[in-house]
Formats: sequence, C-alpha cells, structure tokens
Amino acid sequence: MAVADAPLALPSGAPSHDGKVLGVFTRAQRTTGWRSWITGVDHKKVGIMYGAAAIFFLLIGGFEALLIRMQLWAPRQQLLSADVYNQVYTMHGTTMVFLVVMPIGAAFANYLLPLQIGARDVAFPRLNAFSFWCFLFGGIFLNTSWLLGGGADGGWFMYAPNNGVLYSPSHGIDFWVLGLIITGIASMVSSVNLIVTVLNMRAPGMSMMKMPIFTWMTLVTQFLLLFALPVITVALFLLMFSRIFGAAFFNIDDGANPLLWQHLFWIFGHPEVYLMILPSFGLISEILPVFSRKPIFGYSFIVFSGVAIAFMGFGVWAHHMFVSGLGPTSVLVFSLTTMFIAVPTGVKILNWTATMWGGRLRFDTPLLFSIGLITMFTIGGLSGVSHSIAPADTQQTDTYYIVAHFHYVLFGGAFFGFMGGFYYYWPKVFGYMLSEKMGKWNFWVLFLGFNLTFGPMHIIGLQGMSRRYYTYDPNFGFDIWNKIATIGAFTIALSVILFIVNIALSYKRSKSLPPVGADPWDARTLEWITPNPTPEWNFDPIPTVTRVDDFWYQKYEETADGGLVKVRDAKDIVQDSDGVGVHLPSPSYWPIVLAFGLPIVAYGLIFSWWLCLLGGAIIVTAMFGWAFEPPDDPEAAHGHGHDEAGHDDHGSAADVDALEQEVAPVG
Amino acid sequence: MSDAEQSELTPEEQHQAANHRGKMPLLAKIFGVLAVGATTAVLIGSIYAVFDQENKPLNGLNPQGPKAQTIQNLVLPVFVVAGIVMVIVCAAVLFISWKFRRRTDEDPHSMGVQTEGNMPLELTWTAIPALILFAIAIGTIITSLELEPKVGPETLEVRVIGQQWWWSYEYDLDQDGNFDDLVTANELVVPTGRDVNLRITSNDVIHSYWIPELNGKKDAVPGQINDWALRADEVGTYLGTCTEFCGLSHANMRMLVRSVSPDDFDAWVEGQQREAVEPAEGSLAAEGKKVFEAQLCSSCHLIRGVNEAKVEDPEKGVDAQLVSGNAPDLTHFASRGTFAGAIYNSRYPNPDGNDQPYGATCTAEDTDACGEPLDNATPGNPDNPFYAPNVENWLRDPVAMKPMAPLQTENPYADGRVRGMPNLGLSEDQIDQLVAYLETLR
Repeated sequence: MAVADAPLALPSGAPSHDGKVLGVFTRAQRTTGWRSWITGVDHKKVGIMYGAAAIFFLLIGGFEALLIRMQLWAPRQQLLSADVYNQVYTMHGTTMVFLVVMPIGAAFANYLLPLQIGARDVAFPRLNAFSFWCFLFGGIFLNTSWLLGGGADGGWFMYAPNNGVLYSPSHGIDFWVLGLIITGIASMVSSVNLIVTVLNMRAPGMSMMKMPIFTWMTLVTQFLLLFALPVITVALFLLMFSRIFGAAFFNIDDGANPLLWQHLFWIFGHPEVYLMILPSFGLISEILPVFSRKPIFGYSFIVFSGVAIAFMGFGVWAHHMFVSGLGPTSVLVFSLTTMFIAVPTGVKILNWTATMWGGRLRFDTPLLFSIGLITMFTIGGLSGVSHSIAPADTQQTDTYYIVAHFHYVLFGGAFFGFMGGFYYYWPKVFGYMLSEKMGKWNFWVLFLGFNLTFGPMHIIGLQGMSRRYYTYDPNFGFDIWNKIATIGAFTIALSVILFIVNIALSYKRSKSLPPVGADPWDARTLEWITPNPTPEWNFDPIPTVTRVDDFWYQKYEETADGGLVKVRDAKDIVQDSDGVGVHLPSPSYWPIVLAFGLPIVAYGLIFSWWLCLLGGAIIVTAMFGWAFEPPDDPEAAHGHGHDEAGHDDHGSAADVDALEQEVAPVG
Repeated sequence: MSDAEQSELTPEEQHQAANHRGKMPLLAKIFGVLAVGATTAVLIGSIYAVFDQENKPLNGLNPQGPKAQTIQNLVLPVFVVAGIVMVIVCAAVLFISWKFRRRTDEDPHSMGVQTEGNMPLELTWTAIPALILFAIAIGTIITSLELEPKVGPETLEVRVIGQQWWWSYEYDLDQDGNFDDLVTANELVVPTGRDVNLRITSNDVIHSYWIPELNGKKDAVPGQINDWALRADEVGTYLGTCTEFCGLSHANMRMLVRSVSPDDFDAWVEGQQREAVEPAEGSLAAEGKKVFEAQLCSSCHLIRGVNEAKVEDPEKGVDAQLVSGNAPDLTHFASRGTFAGAIYNSRYPNPDGNDQPYGATCTAEDTDACGEPLDNATPGNPDNPFYAPNVENWLRDPVAMKPMAPLQTENPYADGRVRGMPNLGLSEDQIDQLVAYLETLR
C-alpha cells in the first residue's frame, strides 16, 4: 500500500487521521435502507436512481404526448386551449429529451461503465451522486412550473424572440431556462466524471480497443456532452439575463439578431441528437453478439463510425436552419456535411446486420428490440437523408414529416435500444429476469403502436400539416391519419403499462425461483463476471483482461478449425468473493444538499431574492461540508470491512487511489 | 465439464424455463405478424395517400409552379432510392432473422462461424452509400443554385411581413425600391407567368412563409430580409400555412396566393390603389363607418380615406396599440375572400375546392351553388357573395374565434400594447353596422 503515502492529486482537506474535523462534518454511514439511497455514492445506486427517475419522467412526458394526441384526434377539438397545448408540447419535448432519453443513457452509463471496464466505482463518486441529484431536482423544478403558473410555451427549441417576456410573459420559460441550467450542470459534471473513469480506471490489460462497445459509445457520448453543453449553457444564460434582468441579447429593436439563439441552440442541439442515440447503439452492440452467439462484426468499424458520427455531429447544426435565410453557401455546406453523416451511420447498421448473419439467433426480448432498432432507425435515417437535401427540406421542415423522422430516430432508435437494454440487464441489476412472455408482448405492442403513431406523420407532413399546431380544419385530409396516430399513441401507452406490469409480476415470480445465477444470457463482457445482482464492491479481485469479450473467451476456447469449444462453466468463472477488505467510497450527505440549493436559487430568481440568499447559503454550506468532510467515519464499518485504517485518509476525492490500489496487486 | 453430471437445471435454465412456459409466445408471434402486417399496410396506404392528389387544399407533392417542380424533380428519385434501401435493409433483416434463427431441436449451445469482420466488405458498404450520397449531393448543389431568387427587370417585388398572426403584403409596382404602392393582407395576388420576388421579414417573432404548391418555405425573421421566389403559371388559388412556431395562434396563420391573368391583375391593382368607398349617406354602412372611427378599431386598423396610420415609428411601432405596430389594412376588406389570418371565409368558397379559377362561380341568388362557407380549408372566393355570419362572430368575440393575447396589462414589457384583436364589447347594432360597412369596402 505504498500509494497511501504518496501525495494526493486532489487533497481532501482532511488534515488529520482522527476524522473529527470541524465536528459536525461527520460522514454518512448507512449502506442499507432508504438513507443509503439518499447519501449513497455507489455508481450502481446512482444508475438505478437515474433509471427510476427517468421512467417517472417518461410517464409524465408520455401523459403529455397522450394529451397532444387526444387534442389532435379530430379537427377543431376543444380539449386543450392553444395556450395549454403549446405548453404541453413544449414540455413533452423538453421532458423526453432532457429528463428521459438523456438520463436513461446516464443510467446505463453509470451502472455499466465501471462494470464493463473492471472498476469498483467511477472516478469521483460524490460528484456522481451530485450529478444525479442535480438532474432530479432540475427535472422536478422544471415540472413544478405546471403548479406555478404554467409550463414553458415556446417549443423545446425556444426560438428568440418568441422566448422573450414580451411574447411569453408567464414564468414558464423562466422555469425552463433555470431547470435546464441545473440539469446541464448534472450532465456536465457527469461527463467529466465518466471520461476520467474510462481513461484512468480500466482493468489491467484493457486497452482502448479492448473496451466493450457500449463503453466506447458512452465515452463518445460524454465527449459530445463536454463540448456541446457549454454552448447551450451560454444560450440559456443569455436568455435568463434577457428575461430576468432585462438584458437585450435577443431584443430586435436594439439590433439583436435572433438567429444567434438558433446557432447557439443547434450547435448544442445537434450533437445532442447523437448523444441521445449513441448509448443505444452501444447497448445493441452488446446485445446482438450475445443473442447471435457471434462476435460483433467489424468492432473497429463500429467504434470508429461512432467516433466519426460524433465529430461530424458538430458540423451539421445549421441543417436545422436551412430556411432561416443563411445564404446559399452556408446552406450547401451544411447540406453536404449532413448527407455524409449518413455514411458512418449506415456502416453501423450494416455491421449489426452482418453480426446476425450466420449466427444462431435466440429470439429473446432484447434481440427483438435490437432488431426493432435496426429497422426503425433505418427508416428514420433515410427520411433524414431526404431532408439533408436543402431544397427538399424547404418543403419538409417544420412539418409532421420532421416529427415522424425524429421519432423514428429517437423513439425507434434510442428508446427501442433502451428497452432492449432494460430486458438484457435487468437480471444484472436486480437479480431476476423479466418475463419473456410479457416481454414479447411488450415488444410487439410497442412496435405496432410506434408505427401506427409515427408512420402516418410522414404522410400528413409531406402533404403540408405543420408541426406545433394545436388544431386543424376538416377537409385538409388530415383527419384519418391523425386518428390512426392517436390510436397508436394509446397502443404505446399500453405497451409501457405492460413493461411496468412485467416488472412487478416478474419480481413476484422471482421469489419462487432460485437466484438467477450469474450468466443468464451466456454473455460476453466483463460485467457478467460479477454475480447478479452486482455486489456492492463490483469486483474482487479486479480482473485482468486479455481481449475483447474476455468473459466469453474464458468460457469458450478457440479450436484449431476456428470453432469454439466450451472449456469452463460460467459459475466457475464468476467471482464469489465476500468483498472483505475492499475499500469503497463512503456515503456522503453533501451531494444531495448541494444539489438541493440550486433549485432554491432558481425559485429565488423567479419569485424572491430572499430565496436566492437561502439557496446560496445552502450551497455554500454544502461546499464547505463537502470540502471538510472527513474521509471516513472512524467509528463506522462501511462497505464490507476495512483493510488497515492507513489508507482511509485519502478522503473520497482520492477514492481513485483507493480503487487503484486494489488493481495493483492483481495486475 | 461433463454436462451429463449436471442432472438438475442451473438457476439460469430454471429462469429460462419459467420464461418459456405456456402458450403466450405463440400468441405473441401471431400478434407480431399482425403488427408487421399492419405496419406494412400503413406503409402501402401512405404511399397511395401521398400520390393521391384529390381534395388536398395543402399539398407539398403537387407542384404548380417552376420552383416547386424543381424541388419535386430532385426529391422524388431520392424517395425512390431511399424506399429501395429501406426495403432491402428490412428484407435482409427479416431474412436473416428467419434463416439464422435457432431451431428448437438445435443444441442451445451451438454457434455459427465466429467471423469478426471482413475488410473488403466493410470498405464496399462504406463506399456504396458514399457514392449514392455523392450523386445526391451533386443534384442538391445544382438545384439549390437554381432555386436562388434572381431579380430581373420584369420581376414583381413584394415585401411580405409576418406578424402575430397574419401576413401583410406591400407591393413595389413602379420598381422604385419603395414598397409603398399597394398594401393588402393575408392574400397575395400575383399575375400568372411572372416571376415574383418576395422580400420576407417580420414585425415581431419569427414566422415562416410557405406555399407548398409553389415553393418551399422561407422564414420571416425580424430585422432581416429573406428573398424568396414564386411563380404561378396557372390561374388558381394556393394555400399555405405558417410553419415556424410563432406563439399562441401559430395554427391560425395562413396565407393565400391567388394567381390571376395579367389583365385581371392590372384591374385588381387599380381597385386596390383607390381610397375606401364612401358609404351612402344615412345607410347602415355609414353608421358602421362612424362606429369604426369612434371605437378602438381605428387605433390599429387603417382604412385609407378614413383614418391615418397611427404608427409613427414604423421601425419600432412604439406608438401603435399593437406589439407588431400593425393590423390588417381594411381599405379593401371586401375584395378578399378570407380574414383573420386567412382562417375564416368572409365569402363563399368555390364548391369544388380551391383549384377553381379565380372568378365567379356562384351568385347571391343561388348560394346553393356555392361551397360551404364554414369549410375553412377551402378559401372564400372574392367574387362570390359575402358571408356575414363569420365576420359578425369575429366582431362579437375575436379571441373566442382565434386565440390571441389582447390583454397584456400585467406584462410591463408590453408597454400597453396588445398581440391580436381584443373583444371591443360591441353591441349587436354596432356589429350589424360595422359588417354592413365592411361589406362595402370592395
């Protein structure tokens, strides 16, 4: 344990070994019960909370979607007023993007990423918990606007100058701006955390090109976040200052150019699209090989096409602005860059298809969802090509054709992948399997509902039905397709209910079955080398990796004729240590306290300066508490036992070191 | 590793067995076939629907002008290629799913050839899409440049101004660069066969101008002028809708292009340039004129010959009652077939839809031969009889007819200005008088 005496990269501020620094700042202890969730810094707990919160927001966003579809069921419906409809569709988009798809990606990333690279936690566990609480409080804050005067009504893209107080005097957009700043902090912190984790904490032997593809795609996603989020944050601050302090960034009378907002928004907004889809691409790149019983086809091509998509994703933003008057040169440049982003995307599709070719396909639910993603995303990608053609886009943009396109990409793409991921990783996370029977129903009902909802939108869009319309007249020929779409939306809702019922029933059923065992799918990657559900300490010892799909090749060995022969059973490989002696990061009160201060400040900016002071006081207190928190409660037996107290004085900022010590003897 | 020794099932296998018990998967399979079938049916129905041009007042795939035709010529082959690619990919995935499915009698641990990749294959399927896209890119470049508006000596220039939630048009007929020759609202009248250059801008938020049958859309951005070309070669009426979200009544902001023969256009111009008709002394309409002047109407609307434009600084519109500084010019209200952002008919439409030529098809005596005036998807024809009930309802309570934001007293930034038309609390008598007056404003 020589590392213990080395100078710390990030001093914890804890000057002594007795842990009694400044008295009150003792360390949280509980690792079980509800308090362990509040104070927990375990990446698995954080991941589960991300997922649960995202599903909660999915229900809210889904309810908003149903309201939209009910309003459009028939021409001249009176269910929602224009004002309420505008709020509902704005919040539907905002919720689904920022509070559902991004956090589900974060849920998988948090849970799986350390497991896939053979780490015990992320690099900065307390920051990780802070990210989650920021996201949760930001999301709740955003949705409290419904109770405090109405939601934002400017569309999720919130174009200037319609986002100004002159045109939207309610507080809805204030909530939107501040809520997104808070959730932005969450994503920003999390992206740095995960990047550091992947770059520094991989198991011995796991070079970059031996990482699982989900880890690769998540890493790429975090870089997208890292570079895209500052841009939207700038835009949000400009808007916040305009709305709350009367700044003139978007004030046309004072010479502002409203396209500034569009550029800032879409420089963020387009990478955003890719960072929503890439985690799903990663998930199905894990699922397809397992259920085809073949290695992924073209590992390096899938990896580098993901990287290429990310790079190119920063050079296509103005395709959202083809009709805003950019001038022909800009339009053509962005038209061409957009077209060619289809190349790496197509490479991925074909590689997945080739992965299935020649396999022995086991049609369990995760594979069904993966195949759903391949086909539905292909449709979304092809309609995407049709509006990368700038002249064609002048007919298509801001119509339902676009709505169809991005739902095929983000629902048929990202969400189908997530559903596959849920079914695949459920035993890993919760120790029981979801029912296949209901899973198949879940898939087919979702597949049908999805196509009924969004398929017809291609037609009414090409015909000329604009987006963001709270109503339409009879005799436009929109009626029948809108009715089909509404029926489809309720079919989707049924499927989501099936999923939730499946969780409940499968949980009940699992009690009459033995624990699921470590390897229910005959899986390939490192996360399955740990028992199910994953023990708190993840790995003991940290494994050494020799190749891609290391776990698989411990079970199967190559024969001389290129075939594989089973050499070991999973249960002989899977770790069954009791975790004694593993040092784990201690829980902490401060992440949740610090995150809690942020929405208070935000309420203060809207309603009263006194609240700002209160929120500020909470934040400052939490920062001090965080900084002066002793590395461990000397009295507590945290995790599963101590090794010698000597290396506890790292503080949790130095948990990295603690984790790496565990690596060293293995490597 | 002798499997024979494992007499009892592993936990994994027990879970698998529990999962596959019962007949549900078969039903799910049937349902799955139905789902794929329904999806395919919707797909085929859509293709049919897309190419069925009947009874579609709005239609992005029915070009009636050269610009829209150019776009169509570019995009149709792309749709065909995309469709082929989609069918190939989906068919390939379905075929692979069927061909390489694990048979029930097969050893669950069997596996296929463990291929990890194939460089020539990878390069091929990187190159093929790139080549297809390269071809599309060339077409895009050529078409884009072709679509750029070019202003020649014969081009008719019209300034188009989007406002919450209607459009105004200012014509430059004498080509002196000033758009002061003719002002109208909601309905753009153009001569057939002549290039029109729209100089599109906005008085408040961003809107988007779109006549799908004539050209794609172009945003109306405040503080910026976007040129956009139109030409209609046939006499006809072309409907469009605002396509950039512009606030409360975004859905209630339409525009019309009426293309008329050059002679009709000249006659129309002459009529529009006159001041408003003076109603006969003592008539109901004369009373209506007094109401217009006495009530708030005249503080936003202009009737040339009756009141002066109140806007003193057209750049900022600070002295107007409206945020946009402007309300539709009513001088020739009755020469138009629609009102309120072209969402309501003030005249009977043509019975067979809006592709009918501009010209009378029905008479005041025989409104049975007219179209249904409440069919607002079919715009009213200015030569058809006046349909008063819509206008009366509008004057009774405009906000009920179209969501607007006329009460902004709580918004300090609004500076007392409103967005849209407030309910003026007119009496039934005043409404009758105003409608009578408006009907005379041909």
